[in-house]
Amino acid sequence: MKEKTILFGIGNCGRADDGLGWAFLDKIKAYLPNNYDIEYRYQLQVEDAELATNYKNVVFIDAHHQSFEKGYIWKKCHPKATESFTTHELDPESVLYLTETIYNKHPKAAILGITGDNYCLEMGLSPAATKNLSKALNFYKNSFLNPINLGTDKSHILK
Amino acid sequence: MSQKLVIDPVTRVEGHGKVTVHLDENNKVTDAKFHIVEFRGFERFIQGHPYWEAPVMVQRLCGICPVSHHLAAAKAIDQIVGVDPENLSVPAQKIRKLLHFGQVFQSHALHFFYLASPDLLFGAESDPLKRNVVGVAMEYPELAKKGILMRKFGQEIIKLVAGKRIHGISTTPGGVHRRIGAKERTYFLDDKEIPSADTMIKWSVEIIDFMKSYHANNKEFLDSFAKYPSGHLGLVNKKNGFLELYDGVLRATDAQGNTTLDDVPNDDYNQYFYEAVEKWSYLKFPYLKHIGREKGWNRVGPLARLNVCEGIETPLAQKEWIDFMDQTNGQTNNMTMHTHWARLIEILYCAEMMKKLLEDDDILSNDLTRKGERRKEGVGIIEAPRGTLIHHYEVDDKDRITRCNLIVSTTHNNEPMNQAVRWVANNVLDGKSEITEGMMNQVEVAIRAYDPCLSCATHAMGQMPFELQLFDHYGNVIDQKIRT
Repeated sequence: MKEKTILFGIGNCGRADDGLGWAFLDKIKAYLPNNYDIEYRYQLQVEDAELATNYKNVVFIDAHHQSFEKGYIWKKCHPKATESFTTHELDPESVLYLTETIYNKHPKAAILGITGDNYCLEMGLSPAATKNLSKALNFYKNSFLNPINLGTDKSHILK
Repeated sequence: MSQKLVIDPVTRVEGHGKVTVHLDENNKVTDAKFHIVEFRGFERFIQGHPYWEAPVMVQRLCGICPVSHHLAAAKAIDQIVGVDPENLSVPAQKIRKLLHFGQVFQSHALHFFYLASPDLLFGAESDPLKRNVVGVAMEYPELAKKGILMRKFGQEIIKLVAGKRIHGISTTPGGVHRRIGAKERTYFLDDKEIPSADTMIKWSVEIIDFMKSYHANNKEFLDSFAKYPSGHLGLVNKKNGFLELYDGVLRATDAQGNTTLDDVPNDDYNQYFYEAVEKWSYLKFPYLKHIGREKGWNRVGPLARLNVCEGIETPLAQKEWIDFMDQTNGQTNNMTMHTHWARLIEILYCAEMMKKLLEDDDILSNDLTRKGERRKEGVGIIEAPRGTLIHHYEVDDKDRITRCNLIVSTTHNNEPMNQAVRWVANNVLDGKSEITEGMMNQVEVAIRAYDPCLSCATHAMGQMPFELQLFDHYGNVIDQKIRT
C-alpha cells in the first residue's frame, strides 16, 4: 500500500498572490494518485495536527515574500515549538510539533514556498506569481508524480 | 511630568490592537486606552452589490466566526424577500440553528482551550514560551486532545450544513439550500469516526467541572481581576426569556440587574442605539440612547447572555446556569474573568442543542424555503460567539444594496474592553516606568476575556499587530513592547 500524503494549500485567493497555495492545489489535483489528499486553508490550525497523524508525508504549500532563483523553495519542515505564533494561526513547524507531542506521530514534512509579488485585496495571481507557480508545479510533478520516478527512492517526497 | 505605556499588539485575540497608558511625573496612571488601528471598509464596499450576495460577502469579514456573519446577513436578507424569522420553514430554522450551534461550539472551544487556558493553567505572569497552546499540549496532552476534537466536531457540523468549514454557504433568501441526509447525521451520533454528540456533552461537563475546581483554588483572581460594573446586553427568547443565540428579542440590564432594554424587537434596534466615535480608535462605541454615552454601554457575549436570560432550555446547561448564578446570589455578575466560565456553560448548551437537532427528523425535510412580499430593508440580529451581532441592509428597486450598517460583537465590547484595560492600568501598571512581560500579559488577559475579534469589529484589511506603549507627561514613549 502506498504511503498516504496530504498537501495543505495555505492562503487567501482574495488577496492576489496570497492565493498561491490554493492555486497550486487547483492545478496539481488532476495529477494526483489516490494516495494523496488535499486541504485548502486560510491558516493552519491546531486540528491540522490531528489530521496530519493520518499521513506519512505532509507538504505545506504557501506564498512566500522572499525571492528565489527558481521562483520557489522546497525545504524539509522540522517540528518546532515556536514562540511567536499569534492569534489563531500556527506555522507548519508548530503543527508538526503538536502532532508529535500530542499524538506521538512523526510524519515526514516539507514546505513548498512559492514567491509572490502582489498581496493586494484582489482576485487572481500576478504575472510573476503565475510564472513561479508554473515552475513549482513542474518541480513537484517531475520529482514526485512522474511515473518514471514512482516506486523509486526519488519518488519519496522527502528522501 | 506624565508618562505613557503602550501594549501593541495584543496577542491571542482575533485581529490586533494597541494599548496606551499615560503616566504622570510620579508614574501614576492618568489614562489608559485600547485602540483599534485597523482600516474599516466592509460597510462601504458592499454597497452596489445585489442583496443576495450579502451573506456570502460579509462572512469574509472573519475566518473564525464567518457563520455568524453569514446567518445575521441571511436573517436580514430574508426580510428583504418578505420572510420574517418566525415564517421561515421549520426545517430551515432547525438547519440554520444546527449550523449556528456548531459555529459557537467550535469558536468557544478554540478560545478556551487555545487562547484562555494557557493563562489559567500557567498563570498570567508565567514564561511566555510556555504560556501558549504548545505548552498546554506538552503538560496537559489529554486536555489538548479534547480541545482539538471538540473544535473539530463543531467544524464538521459547519461542513455538514454549509459544505465547508470556513466560508461555506448554507442560506438562500428565505431559507436554506439543502437538507441534511440521514447517513450524514449518523456520523455525529454513532461515536465511530469521530467522538459523538454525547461525548461532546460529556467533555463539556468535564471542562465546566475543571473551571469550578479552578475557581475554588483561584477565587481571588477570578472574582476580582478586571472586575467593574457595567450594563449587559443579549438576545433572549421572546416567549420565556431563556438564553437565545439564533433569534430573539433584545434585552439589557444595568450593573445591578435593572432592565434598561425591555425585550425590543430586532427591527427597532435603531431606535435605541447610537454609536459614538472617538478620534483615537477606528472602532465605534455603541450605547443606549436613552441612557447616554457615559452609562449606556453594555458588555455582550457569554457573561452578558447568562446575566440577561432567565434560564436555559437544555437540562444540563440549565443546572450549570443555576450554579453560576448562585455565585452572585442571583444578582448580575460583573466579574470579567467569569466570562470564561459562562463561555463553557454555553459550550455545554451548544452540545446539548446539536444532539437534539441532529436527532430531529425535521432536518431531513425538503421543505426548505419561503417567499413573501419584497421589502426595501432588513435587519438581522444574532448572538455570535462574542456577542450581539447586528446586520442592517437597505436595497433599491434594482436589488442593489444602498446602505449597510454592521454593529458587531466586539464593537459593543469596545467600552468594556477599555474599562478592563483601565482596571489593569490602575491595579498593575500604576507606579511602574517600564513594561515587564507579566504586566503586558495581564493587559492581554483582561482583553482576551472578551475574545475580541478586531478584524470583525473594524472589518480590517492587512496586518494587525498589537503593541503596548508607555508615555510620559510630554507625550514621549518611555517604554514599548510589540508582539507580532
